[in-house]
Amino acid sequence: MKHRGRGLASMWYPVGFTGYANPSGAVVKVNEDGTAVVLTGTVETGQGSLGVLGQIAAEALGLAPNDIHIISGDTDTCPMDTGAIASRTTYITGNAVRIAAEKARDILFEVAAEMLGVKPNMLEAKDHKIQVQSFPSRNVAIADVSSRAHNGIGTPPIGSATWNPPMVPMDPETGQGKPFGTYVYATQIAEVDVDDETGEVEVLRVTASHDCGTAINPMLVEGQIDGGVYMGLGFALYEEILFDKAGKQINCNLTNYIMPTTLDMPAIDEDIVENYDHTGPFGAKAVGEPSLVPTAPAITNAIYDAVGVRITALPATAERVLAAIKAKRAREQKQIPA
Amino acid sequence: MNVTLTVNGEIRSASVPPETTLLVFLREHLLLTGAKTGCDIGDCGACTVIVDGKAVNACLMLAAQADGRAVTTIEGLATREGLHPLQKVFEETGALQCGFCGPGVILTSKALLDENPDPTTEEIRTALAGNLCRCTGYVKMIDGIHEAAKMMQSATPALPAPEQR
Repeated sequence: MKHRGRGLASMWYPVGFTGYANPSGAVVKVNEDGTAVVLTGTVETGQGSLGVLGQIAAEALGLAPNDIHIISGDTDTCPMDTGAIASRTTYITGNAVRIAAEKARDILFEVAAEMLGVKPNMLEAKDHKIQVQSFPSRNVAIADVSSRAHNGIGTPPIGSATWNPPMVPMDPETGQGKPFGTYVYATQIAEVDVDDETGEVEVLRVTASHDCGTAINPMLVEGQIDGGVYMGLGFALYEEILFDKAGKQINCNLTNYIMPTTLDMPAIDEDIVENYDHTGPFGAKAVGEPSLVPTAPAITNAIYDAVGVRITALPATAERVLAAIKAKRAREQKQIPA
Repeated sequence: MNVTLTVNGEIRSASVPPETTLLVFLREHLLLTGAKTGCDIGDCGACTVIVDGKAVNACLMLAAQADGRAVTTIEGLATREGLHPLQKVFEETGALQCGFCGPGVILTSKALLDENPDPTTEEIRTALAGNLCRCTGYVKMIDGIHEAAKMMQSATPALPAPEQR
């Protein structure tokens, strides 16, 4: 018969390693028409990082994300980026884009200050305008400021920056230091049905609660969580690379390397716990890889809750779960006094 | 051998070796590269196209078997008036990430919605079971297909688009 169980797992995950150089660079230029261009060495792989970098530049410049044109992934023209790895793009490349955009904005402030007859530090960039703080009716359009900067004053608003998470050298005696820029935290709960006659595990529901700092684009954060739970589910129940004695992979296609399909996916309840991290761009940290870390332990804990067996080698295939259930039964029968 | 079929409403023909699959015919002879070569053995669904209203793995069908039939590929979905509702919804809701599975997923979904305009979540899951996606966990795809079904039901059918001023 089927037994229902629930399991919970929590994790922390480090973002922005500091032991080695880990920089990202960015160039932001504001055009005469009030649009802007961002040059970044990072690569979009579908997670939406360029959209997030565009949002960061737009926020810093007082523009809309649609005004930002991004050139990326071309080492001939773009500044160096350590890579679209280690869940670092929003945190590190995002900081580089933010600082570069702020430098370009400061040039706009210098020009606008003269146009508005105030000091540059009294200005803010918002809604396509440079305006006096607390007096938004005193404003000039960013397009007009940028055009004047280019063609009147001769100070085109271009900013460039690099950001590398601050290095803290390791203490040679204690081995302690600060190996990462920041950390994210998450808890996931899995609800499963385990069939004690076949060992088959069905994951019904996963609730995934993630701290990612500021969620710059909540829709994309949810997408990352969905994908992470999917990969965690495959890791927990299905996916395993098998080798023969010569070390050659024997399941090298999708017929026998089993990935979850739509029929295996549980309902996912994504819960974003926002919190402002002062080291990240507008408080943002990361969500990519962390989203799959707690899934497998939550599922194996749920299996334990359902049928009382600990699965210590993944994937928890029906064969492994059934073997564990049989071993448990055998142990329990031995313990019954004659 | 000569193969003639209707692709996206247009009659196309080419002379190909008899072992040519529909996928190779589309990609290499007609240069329609929207259908993707994923596993090439019918596991992943990235090559899905619609043949006479049914979603098929183009890698498992010979071009000769499609002779005289109507094939829809992802290139045939958008019109001059705009994207197909599925494409529009998928773009707006982040239903695709890397997008490699996208053409296949969208065509499987279109074949489903053409046959069943208001599917349940279970029906959507069953229809998409042959399309593997590594990025999204299918979650936003399934939501998006519900959304597109609503859009397609409320849309006025087959009227010419209004003149844009």
